[in-house]
Amino acid sequence: MPDNILTLLFAVLVFPGGLFALAFGLILRGLDRRAVARMQRRVGPPLIQPFIDILKLMGKRTMVPEGSNTFVFLWAPVVAVAAMAVAAAMIPIAGFYRPSADLGDMLVLLYLVTVPAVVLMLAGSASGSPFGAIGFSREMAIMLAYEGPLLLAVVAVAMVAGHHLGQPIALSLADIVAVQRQQGAFILDPMLWPALLAYLSFIPANLGFSPFDIPEAESEVLEGPLLEYSGPALGLLKLASALKSVVVIGLGIALFCPIGPSGGAGLLVWALQCAVVTVCGVSLAKAALGRMRIDQAVLFYLKWPELLGIAGLVLAVANL
Amino acid sequence: MDTFQIPVGPLHVALEEPMYFRLDVDGERVAAVEITAGHVHRGIEHLTERRNFWQNIVLTERVCSLCSNSHPQTYCMTVEAIAGIEVPVRAQYLRVIADEVKRVASHMFNVAILAHIVGFESLFMHVMEAREIMQDVKETIFGNRMDIAANTIGGVKYELDDARVAWLVDQLDRLEPVIVGEIAPLYRTDRSILSRTRGVGVIGRQDCIEYGLVGPVARGSGLDNDIRRLAPYAVYADLDFDVVTETDGDVWSRAMVRLGEIRQSIGILRQCLAKLPKGPSSLPGWPAIPAGEAVAKTEAPRGEVVYYLKTDGSTMPQRLKWRVPSYMNWDALGVMMKDARISDIPLIVNSIDPCISCTER
Repeated sequence: MPDNILTLLFAVLVFPGGLFALAFGLILRGLDRRAVARMQRRVGPPLIQPFIDILKLMGKRTMVPEGSNTFVFLWAPVVAVAAMAVAAAMIPIAGFYRPSADLGDMLVLLYLVTVPAVVLMLAGSASGSPFGAIGFSREMAIMLAYEGPLLLAVVAVAMVAGHHLGQPIALSLADIVAVQRQQGAFILDPMLWPALLAYLSFIPANLGFSPFDIPEAESEVLEGPLLEYSGPALGLLKLASALKSVVVIGLGIALFCPIGPSGGAGLLVWALQCAVVTVCGVSLAKAALGRMRIDQAVLFYLKWPELLGIAGLVLAVANL
Repeated sequence: MDTFQIPVGPLHVALEEPMYFRLDVDGERVAAVEITAGHVHRGIEHLTERRNFWQNIVLTERVCSLCSNSHPQTYCMTVEAIAGIEVPVRAQYLRVIADEVKRVASHMFNVAILAHIVGFESLFMHVMEAREIMQDVKETIFGNRMDIAANTIGGVKYELDDARVAWLVDQLDRLEPVIVGEIAPLYRTDRSILSRTRGVGVIGRQDCIEYGLVGPVARGSGLDNDIRRLAPYAVYADLDFDVVTETDGDVWSRAMVRLGEIRQSIGILRQCLAKLPKGPSSLPGWPAIPAGEAVAKTEAPRGEVVYYLKTDGSTMPQRLKWRVPSYMNWDALGVMMKDARISDIPLIVNSIDPCISCTER
């Protein structure tokens, strides 16, 4: 099926994965920096500053530290970008884009979402720097803590959607979106609010933003795994993290609030939703909170979001 | 898990100055700390023996930036003690004003850096923005934002007319509500700050005495050893202020002491500006400095500064020696860092407000 392969390639490389997600992710990053600056009564950089940063990094040399594992050190960022480009192609945009089932279902997506964190761990340990090693252990700890709430929230939504479809569980994001477009967005269902909160609290930790920017804390471990990176390799890691914000926020919108109208307006509404989540969810927390300690963050996740996730699942199942 | 070593410093984003900590780390816990100093030794003490008494005012001001008023002031006090110079009362008031302006700016800088290390950038920005009021005061009154060159032997080198006094009071009126109404309550109640600073880097009162700690570090553990109260110099004896102490001896207590002292300093400034007597602000001419020895001490923002001067009747010191507060305080880092987490190390270091360039000069 050459047609299908071409479509898939287009989805992964151009839209909505690849180039589009890259550009959109960088704009979201710029928006976030600008919003934080405004909250701190600063002017802030121009919206396209992240593009400029990436361009600058791409024009520099990548230094590979002595004593590092060169292969892992250089390929880890590539893997992160590739994984995120595929993941971005799997995110439906309500009314505008329906991912092909050939890309895989939500289980694949959940695995892909963890790839950047794993890459950071690999990169940290491959760099041979003690700060990278600390970043590794912190990334691992916080990942174990936030994966629980994520899975619980996703399963709660999938089970509710599956109930509407007459299946035990709906593992296709496209189906979950379709159900909500018929039955109303899940964000309006109070029974799913705990799951929504669990998902929202997962976002800053997964994206490595305050108050959970612990593995890459600049004033503590000198950006941990990123410490030894420079030039294009660092640029790729930054691209992967920009892509990840699109994936994680887009997944949240698909799970809870896919309300865009059909056609081009759907894309516009989706982009606006992403921007709102970025400013209200990420920038606000960044401006209002300090960093937690790793033990505090892990404890926090094991307490509140985990509880919310369990409550969300129980409520969702009890209500079927 | 085996312990492994990580270097903190000599260049590190959370340290303003070069200092090297070699940490033996067991997971996130610190097993042992080794502190190495000496990266910014510039031989200033030796240099003072090759400069005359007036050149040394300029030189001692450049020992350190944040306490750059305490050094020349204490130095001038030793020279005045040897020469038997009576400093005019107005000059003494002006000295206190210069000193307290510097203290406010220095303490605000330190608590701002605390917020930066915690990753609370908005609070950092807010405190630094408020600190600009004090920086503008320095620039307007003294003509410079850091080295204010206020002191000279026998008096001060700046004047305050009525317009400037009124303007200064205005600036204090702008700053005080921000400190009292916004910044201090934030540090006292914000969860981000409390969860990272309470119970971190604790040092008890007894340890403070044994290590001879000075300044806000000692006062954070309940030891009220403020030189302005214990051995009043200039006109501190006539001024009404409280020595701020806290009891817990953790990073948070030391920050709260500094915030409290900012408020006391604003009060001292207000009293000085109201009481400022008429008269000369310096002595005419250059007095001869006879042979002799003298010691003077003042309360710098970081604690007690002691200057010792020996002269032989020439125009240059035979020996000038000083002891700065950070020298006393940084040994206690070993106590404070015992069983600390890696993430707490920069916080603990910052909490003693170390002045490396003072200590190593």
